Amino acid sequence: MEILQHLSESLQRGEDETVFALTRQAIEGGIPPKEILDSGLIAGMNVIGERFRKHEIFLPDVLMAAKAMYAGLDQIRPILEREGIPGLGRVAIGTVHGDLHDIGKNLVGIMLRGTGFEVIDLGRDVPPARFVESVERERVQVIGMSALLTTTMPVMKQVIDLLREKRLSDSVRTIIGGAPVTEAFAREIGATAYAFDAASAIARVKSLLGIR
Amino acid sequence: MSQIIRIDAAEIIPDEEAVLRAQGLRRGEPVDGRIRSLLEDTMAILAKEARPVSIVEEVSIEVFETVFHGEGRNADETLLGEVYPRSHGLALFALTVGEAVSTRIGELFEEREFALGAMLDAVASEAADRAVGACERWFLNLLAGRSPASPDDRVLGYSPGYCGWDISGQKKLFQALRPERIGITLNESCLMHPLKSVSGVLVGGLREIHVVDPDYPFCRFCRTHSCRQRMKSLE
Repeated sequence: MEILQHLSESLQRGEDETVFALTRQAIEGGIPPKEILDSGLIAGMNVIGERFRKHEIFLPDVLMAAKAMYAGLDQIRPILEREGIPGLGRVAIGTVHGDLHDIGKNLVGIMLRGTGFEVIDLGRDVPPARFVESVERERVQVIGMSALLTTTMPVMKQVIDLLREKRLSDSVRTIIGGAPVTEAFAREIGATAYAFDAASAIARVKSLLGIR
Repeated sequence: MSQIIRIDAAEIIPDEEAVLRAQGLRRGEPVDGRIRSLLEDTMAILAKEARPVSIVEEVSIEVFETVFHGEGRNADETLLGEVYPRSHGLALFALTVGEAVSTRIGELFEEREFALGAMLDAVASEAADRAVGACERWFLNLLAGRSPASPDDRVLGYSPGYCGWDISGQKKLFQALRPERIGITLNESCLMHPLKSVSGVLVGGLREIHVVDPDYPFCRFCRTHSCRQRMKSLE
C-alpha cells in the first residue's frame, strides 16, 4: 500500500510529524493496525537498523527515526492492546549493579520498543535478584544486561549463576553488552548472546526468539 | 588541605571530532546538516548549563596507599599500582560538569528527544574528560612551581573502576576528599551523582612512569584500550 511505503520512508528520514499524520490517516482509512505497524513502522525501522549496521548512517539518524517511530507507535499501541494483538516478545533490560552508565541500555530499549518488543526497563545499578525477579514475575523471555565498567562485569555472571540456581536458565535467554564487554567474555560467563552495539542487540534478540 | 577550583567553561569545550566519533562517525566523515545542528544545539546547552568545578587535595604516598587499597578488592596487579610508587606528587581529585547537564540529558530522553539526549550525553562526557585535563594542568603547574621542572614531567588522572582499581576505592577516596562540598555524592554502589562527574588521583612524575605495557589479566576483557590513547597523549 502506498501510504505504508510513504510511512516507512518518512520514518527513515526521522520526520516525526509526517509519521504522526500518516499513521492517523492509515488508521482512519481502515488499514489494520498490525499492518500499519509491520509494513510501515517496523519496516522503516528495519531499514534503519540495517543501514546502521552497515555504517551507512549514524546514531543520531537512528534516534531521529526512533522518535518518529514513537510518533506512530503511540497511536497504534492502544488499538493493538484493545484487540489483544501481542508484541514480538518481552525483554527486561538493565545496567548491572555497581554501574550507572545507562546511555547504551537506553538506546537498546528505544530500538527494541521501536521494533515491536515490550520492554521492561529495570534501570541502572540493578541487583542480580531484580533481573531474576523479572523472569519470575513479569515472564520476560530475554534479559539484556549492560556494563561500562570492567569492575562491574562480574555482576553479569552473578545474574546468570542466579538464574541457574533458580532453575530459570532454560526459560530465559541472556544477552550482554557495553563498552568493555566482549564475545569471549559472554561465552566465558555462559550468556546466551553478546551484542556489540544497539543495532546488533536488536538483531540478536530477534534471533534468540526465532523472529525473522 | 583541599582546594576547590572553578574550572573555566572555555577549558571544557569538547572537541567536536571526539563527540562525533562517539556517535559513530569516522574521522573526516562528512557531517550532514541535521547532525551538525544537533551538535550545535548540545554545545549551546552545555555552554548554558555546565558549572564545572573540582576539588583537589595533595596527599602523601602513604595516605594514597590507604585510599588505593580501598576495601581490598583491587586486581592482584594494577596499572596504577605500578605507576604511583614512582610519582613525584599525588593529589586526590573529584570534579563535576554540574547537576544541570546530567538532569537535562534525562529530560531529553523523557521528552523523546533521543538524538539530542544522546548527543548531549556524548558532549558532556567529553567535557568531563576536558575538565580532568584542566585539573592535570593545574597540578602540573603546582608541582613545577615547587621544584625544578623537567620537560618530561607529566600529570595523568587515574580513576577507580578502571584498570584493576576496584570501584569500591571510591569510598575511601570520598572519605579523604569529601567532594560533597562541591555537590558530588556517592551511593551505596560507589557510584557518583551527578552522573557527569569524575574522581580519582592525579599522578605527577616523569612521562615514562605513565607508560606501561597494558597486558594485565583484566585487559583481556577491555574493548576500549583507552590507556593506549592516554599514553600516546603524553608524547
